[in-house]
Amino acid sequence: MRLDRELACQEVVELVTAYLEDALSPEDRERFEEHLVFCDGCQNYLEQMRDTIAATGRVPVGALPAALEEQLLEAFRGWRSS
Amino acid sequence: MIAYKFLRPGGIAPYTGFRWPVGDWVDAGGVDPCRTGIHACAVRDLPIWMGPELWEIELAGEIAVQARKLVAPRGRLLRRLDGWNEGLIRDFGRACVRRTRERVGFLPVLSGYAFDADRLAGLGRVPLAAFAAARAAELRDGPAAYEEERRLQAIWLAERLGLEGGDLQAKKPPLAV
Amino acid sequence: MEQVPSPQDARLLEGLRAGDEAAFVALMREYGAGMLRVAMMYVSSRAVAEEVVQEAWLGVLKGIGRFEGRSSLKTWLFRIVANTAKTRGMRESRSIPFSSLGDDAGAEPTVDPDRFLGSGERFPGHWALPPQAWAPEGRLLSQEALDVIERAIDRLPPAQRAVISMRDVQGFTSEEVCNALDLTETNQRVLLHRARAKVRDALEEYMR
Repeated sequence: MRLDRELACQEVVELVTAYLEDALSPEDRERFEEHLVFCDGCQNYLEQMRDTIAATGRVPVGALPAALEEQLLEAFRGWRSS
Repeated sequence: MIAYKFLRPGGIAPYTGFRWPVGDWVDAGGVDPCRTGIHACAVRDLPIWMGPELWEIELAGEIAVQARKLVAPRGRLLRRLDGWNEGLIRDFGRACVRRTRERVGFLPVLSGYAFDADRLAGLGRVPLAAFAAARAAELRDGPAAYEEERRLQAIWLAERLGLEGGDLQAKKPPLAV
Repeated sequence: MEQVPSPQDARLLEGLRAGDEAAFVALMREYGAGMLRVAMMYVSSRAVAEEVVQEAWLGVLKGIGRFEGRSSLKTWLFRIVANTAKTRGMRESRSIPFSSLGDDAGAEPTVDPDRFLGSGERFPGHWALPPQAWAPEGRLLSQEALDVIERAIDRLPPAQRAVISMRDVQGFTSEEVCNALDLTETNQRVLLHRARAKVRDALEEYMR
């Protein structure tokens, strides 16, 4: 038996992205932040999510395989001269 | 209007990381509860938001009164309440434990909450002990008892800190602690 | 939605129209890998996805004269790839229903349930094995950490992989991703949430 307003950690972790996107309803956001007051497990999880996002931002964008880039360049030159 | 605000060490807001100046008015530019605005506690909300530092804050403008907080367009920190220190927090934890023991201490299953609250308070995890106390009350006597325990927690804090808690009149005589 | 093209977009657009190879190469290097990931959301193999990317770029070049700049350039590029891939995907004998686009689980938890207390306990749903603070923080800045993240992203189902790449690696806004991939805000958030949770798991393992 639980209060409706009370969040358990297992629910909190599923709300983290919505919280960071500022997409929680005011009630849910309040419940979420109330829970963080006393739960270091969830505080750590939120912090780690923030760290993950920041770290992912440092991953290089990546490149197409060189052969494909060559083909695309050829196609561009073909289009340009038509 | 005088209200209260918990901050992280150094006067930093817990969720935004905003570094609060002392004495200067801070303008939030609007009120959109949970998103925009100066967020603060009324006395009854203190047990919910416990943090390392407790400050007195003056709110101005049209204040939105919510179930667990106040939101205003402008606010300024007045002074830090030194009474809110480790000793007080520890005593608060013990008071929660004592109420829990009296409420559920000898009931099967629920008595475990008294054990939990005690252990948590002993570990210095007082906000969690306070939460356990409120949950224990709820499990024994329903959702109203959860709110009642939180109210008793707020009254305890108001008395020890010398705060005006006019809206918290006890329905029963306060438990002697 | 009406949007003013960024100065950079406007320059690249002009360059493309004028047949400037440097502009084309800049766009290809910036968005090519992302376009390939999006193509892989809808087709069954990487080889097919590469063909889709080629086809999409041809479509871009053919349509460049008509592009009015009402959406951002990159949203437009990605829409073309997504549409080309969807068409190709449908033509393949194995068509991939949207429901399988990495949102396989729907309501499946993103954190191992074993890490929480069960329903019979005093605090059901609370951490049994809470995450420990990561230290030293510097380790997150290492090349190794970036490799861990890249591998984790590569292992994701195609739709989660595309969304986290676009949002967190490339820095697209939520709106740009929804417009490009024709996703609702909620769809997109669920995919992003699941993807980030898996990457965090991988980092947690690494930071142990």
